[in-house]
This record gives sequence, structure tokens and C-alpha cells, in this order.
Amino acid sequence: MSPYDSATSAGSSSGSSYASSSTTKPADIDGLLAGAGYKVRSSDLRHVAQRLERLETAMVNSPVELSQLASSDTVHYNPSDIASWVDSLLSEFNHTPSLPSDLPDLPDIVVGPGINPTVKIEGDATWMDHDAPHQQQQQQQQNVQSLTIPPNQLTVVAMEEDSGIRLVHLLMTCAESMQRGEFSLAGSLIEDMQSLLRRVNTTCGIGKVAGYFIDALSRRIFTPQASGLFGGSVSGSASAYENELLYHHFYEACPYLKFAHFTANQAILEAFDGHDCVHVIDFNLMHGLQWPALIQALALRPGGPPLLRLTGIGPPSPDGRDSLREIGLRLAELARSVNVRFAFRGVEAQRLEDVKPWMLQVNSKEAVAVNSILQLHRLLGSDPNRSPPIEIVLGWIRQLNPKIMTVIEHEANHNQPGFMDRFTESLYYYSTMFDSLEACTLQPEKALAEIYIQREICNVVSCEGSARFERHEPLAKWKSRLGQAGFRPLHLGSNAFKQASMLLTLFSAEGYCVEENEGCLTLGWHSRPLISASAWQAAPDANSPLGIVNHHHNNHNAL
Amino acid sequence: MQQMKVEDKEKEKKPKFQMNDHIDILIEVLKRLDGPSLGVAACVCRLWCTLTRSDSLWEHLCFRHVSSPPPSSVRPVVVALGGYKRLYMVCVRPVLSRLRNSNSELVWTRDEVQLSLSLFCVDYYERRLGGGATSASSLMFLCNPVNV
Repeated sequence: MSPYDSATSAGSSSGSSYASSSTTKPADIDGLLAGAGYKVRSSDLRHVAQRLERLETAMVNSPVELSQLASSDTVHYNPSDIASWVDSLLSEFNHTPSLPSDLPDLPDIVVGPGINPTVKIEGDATWMDHDAPHQQQQQQQQNVQSLTIPPNQLTVVAMEEDSGIRLVHLLMTCAESMQRGEFSLAGSLIEDMQSLLRRVNTTCGIGKVAGYFIDALSRRIFTPQASGLFGGSVSGSASAYENELLYHHFYEACPYLKFAHFTANQAILEAFDGHDCVHVIDFNLMHGLQWPALIQALALRPGGPPLLRLTGIGPPSPDGRDSLREIGLRLAELARSVNVRFAFRGVEAQRLEDVKPWMLQVNSKEAVAVNSILQLHRLLGSDPNRSPPIEIVLGWIRQLNPKIMTVIEHEANHNQPGFMDRFTESLYYYSTMFDSLEACTLQPEKALAEIYIQREICNVVSCEGSARFERHEPLAKWKSRLGQAGFRPLHLGSNAFKQASMLLTLFSAEGYCVEENEGCLTLGWHSRPLISASAWQAAPDANSPLGIVNHHHNNHNAL
Repeated sequence: MQQMKVEDKEKEKKPKFQMNDHIDILIEVLKRLDGPSLGVAACVCRLWCTLTRSDSLWEHLCFRHVSSPPPSSVRPVVVALGGYKRLYMVCVRPVLSRLRNSNSELVWTRDEVQLSLSLFCVDYYERRLGGGATSASSLMFLCNPVNV
């Protein structure tokens, strides 16, 4: 995703300093970039792009110099004049080497020759020849190993990478203008982007991701009320059946949900050790794909299987099908084949906050496990008139005093109040996720998994208020939130880590990584964590003299 | 004269030991074969085909390289979920080949056994879910397109 990376580094540093040029522009300034606030001559475009690429390579190869750059007293040029800005940054990279400490006789910073700020590039040959010997000479003097790009390897930036960078710039500009309320500008930018999309490969990479984000942005502007339908409540116009189907294909196409299921099952299995009556509460049953492995593991545990009760929560299904019960029957059949005593109960609820603890019929003698896979973040939207649903739900969970609560959530910060922050974060997050999906070759699983992800994108970007339920928060925030709600963390053991690593080895795609972080596991793509798994237990009540949390006795049977 | 010569020749040609008369020895031999060889053996003759269908041979194959024998509770579970031959085809063989890139003769650990059994169980469940929402198998990620 290198075109995107260089673009963000350019875009974010210019975030607040550019002024949108609304006055008349000279004819030779490129129109598209001018709309984004950058002044570049059309004739200079290719060369500026080449230099941006070199700058990006330099930044990637020498992170130490980057920090020196940030802390030094150099003057930063106005980035709206991209040509001079990138030239000045490149010259600073050439001339601020990171020297090893045992060579004290070399100067720390060599004042470089002043580079003419307005670069008039006539032809690429002269440009390259001018820089190359100068640059190599400097390198030999200072023994810097960072910039070692021989000039004849500088590739001409293809039209496509150019367009990719432009697309990202335009996306950022459009989002920023939406945040400021300039909807007409945003609308015209969307049209620009859509025409630009036709020149970019939209079957992979930045083109595909950009396409989805452009779509989400246009929904936000043009159909704000209808966007509630598409990304709205789970069974608005999107039926529960469709959601289950997409979820299942997302399960097949990439390992995130498998990781979630296997890690949660391992933790639950360990928590249930020694108990003969166990009760699992699943906040989102779907097809119940998580539970066969747990049933099998319980069947084979030393000492024999316990009595397993499973309560599955799910949305009501339309047209009278009782899908929860059907899944329950399948699971019961499996349990019967492996001789595990099993009982299933389905709880239909449109939203998780509609579930009341008496519906779960927990008895005091059983060990309870609460399993929440990508569900808790939906409770974070708050209505000023009511107490936040997350607190209500965490409150009754704590009252149940579960042996373990497994929480799997997106490792992303998509619940910030500012639209621009959310947009930027989600662009980065979903780009990484789509990257990881490229490795999947199963069709139609991959296509449907992409639709599943696209729905999330739409909800994060184009919905607001109660319609926006994809309110992802990172693990650190969940840790503090759950800590304040009266839970203490349980460490996921080394077995869970080993199992997760083994599971990932079975996927042919290299690039997934499992990390352990203070007892929690995260799965990510190339060192960017994308999903996190953690386990919790009710902390002893400080007020109660014995330190025991009150059990919630419920005798209500009627609905 | 000619008849006697033919009879002598027939007596010389007749082997003294027929493998197919000693099924227990045959089974002992088959137990030591690897998966592909067992498949080939199944094509030799009807007797061998019947013998190689027996699940106990495949059970032996599945757990041959486990350091400690699995508990007795495993067998009814595996049988209920589809049998050892299927376990081998669908889970054990791909898991072993993926996890051990170079050497296929190493002992495999209890964790790998557990993981294979869990994946096998998910496979069984998905087949039972069947013609409902999806017919995709989550174990397809284990298998190459050209398979079994």
C-alpha cells in the first residue's frame, strides 16, 4: 500500500495549513490537486510524483533521520507548493545523516547547497543527472547508508500510482470538507473521485478500498436518511438471513472469526474445568459455528463432559422461521452424537440492550460463561435521555457473576467524535483488512466477505447517531471500561496462544501475526493488529463484606 | 510324458505362501503403510479393498506418530463425527503437511491432535447444516484445490 502511505504522510502534515484555492487559478496548475489545495504545474506532475516516491523510500529506509528531522530547527516549507516542499525535505534527508558515535571527526550536519525553491523541471534527464553525482558524493563523504537509490533505478511512476495518490488525497479532502459542512464542495469532489476511479484498477489494492469509501461518503451526503437503512439496525432492510450468510462467508474467507472462536473456546474450556453444570451465553449465535469445537472438547475432557446449556441470542427472523431453534437442534444433534448432555435456549432480541437477565434463566449452581464476539461495541451509542446501554448490559453481566466473559472486538478506534478522525482511522484499518483478504482465493467466499466488510465501512462512515452501531474501540479503552464496570482481566494462557499460532500456520497466507499483550491476544496483518481477544471475570465487590458479588436469582419463566 | 511335464511345472509355479490366506499378517503389514500407499493397496483386489476400508487401520495411521496414545474416549467421538478415514483425509493429512513442511515423519503433539479434532468437528457440523444457508466448508482452507 505504498502509494497510500506516502500520501498520508504528505496529507496529514498539510492538514491544517492549506487553504483551498477558490480564486482564479492559472491555467497550467493541475486542477484536481488544486481542488485538494496543492499547487503543482501539470507539466511537473510526473516529476513531483517521482520525488515523492524517493522521499517515501528515504523515510522508510531511515526512521532515525525522520525523528531528527522532526526535532531539528529546519524550516518547513509550505506543503501546498508540493514541488518545493518535497525538494526541501529530500535535501534535508540527504544532509542530516545519523552518524555512529565512534566517528566523532565527521561533522554532524552538513549545510547543504541551497536548493532553488521553485524547481523548474525541463526534462527528466537533466534533473536526474544533476542530482545523482551530487547525492552520491555526499553519501561517500558521510558514510550514510540510507539513501542508496541509483538514479537509473528510479522508476517512472505509472499513471495508476499517480491516480492512487490522488484518490487518497481527494478522499481526505472530501471528508474534511464534510466535517466543515461544505457539502457542495464535497459533492463535486465525489464526482471527481468517481471519474478518477475509472482510470484505476478497482479489483485490488487502493482502488478497491477507495471505491468502497467513495460509496460510503456519497451515501453520507446524498442519502443520509436512507443510509440508515443500509447500514442501519441489523434487520432493517438487511434481513437476518443475509447477515448470517455474509458472516459465514467472512468466517470462511479469513481467519479473524476462527481465531476469535478458537481463542474464546480455549478460555471457556479452561474456566469450566472441574464444573459439572455449565452454561454458555452467546451474544450473537448466527450459525453457531463456534460451539461444535467446544462441545467436542468438552466431550473429550478428562473426567467426562459436563451438562452443557447454551443460550443463544439473536435477532428475530422474519417470515416465521425460528432460526435460533434450528441452530439449536443442529447443535443438540452434534452433542448427542458425542454423548454430551446438552440443552439449548434461544433468546430473540433485536438489540442486545433489549435482553434482560431473567430471559437467560441462569441458575446459581452452574458455571456461567458469557461470550461476546464483536457485539459490545454496538452498545456504545448513547442517547442523552437514557443511561448508556453498555453500562446497563455490563451491570447485569456482572450480577450474573460469570466464571469468564470472553470479549472479542475490533482493534480500531472508530468511535471518535470527530468525523475526520474516524474516517482516517477507518481508511487505514480497512485498507489493511482488504490487504489481508487478497490472499484468499475461495470464491464466492471472498466476494461475500468483502460485502460484509463494506457494510461495516458504510456504517462507520455514513451513519450517525443511533443508526451508527459499528462503534469500534481499541483494546486499551475496553480494558479501562471493563475495569471501571467491575471486571478484572483473566490472562489467556499459553495454550490459547499456541493454538492461535497453529491455526494461523494452517493458512497459506504469510502475513498474519498473533501477538500477546498483557494476557490478551491480538491477530493482525503485518504487525497491524486488527482483532483482539480478552477474558474477564467479575471483580470482588468492594462494598460487600465477604467480597462476594450478589447472585442474580431469577424465577421468572413467563416472557 | 507331456502331461507329467506340465504337472511338474505347475507344481513348481505354485507359491508356498499365499498372503491372502493370512489376513492377520496382511493387516499387520497394512498398518505400517502411509496414507497414499493404503489408497493404492485398496485397489489391488477385493479382499484388500475391504480390509483397507476398516477404520481401525486409519485410526492407527492417524495416531501413529503421536507421542502418547490418545485416550479411549476419542474413538467414539471420531466415529460419531465421520470416522478415522475421513479424519485422516480431511484433517490429519493437510494439518500434518502444512505444519511440517520438510519432514513428515516427526511425532506430532497433543495440541495438533486437539486442533485436528476441533476442525473435524466443525467440518461435521457444517455438513449437517447442509443445504441451508451455505454449503461452504471451513476446512477448504486446509486443502489445495486438487485434492484427495
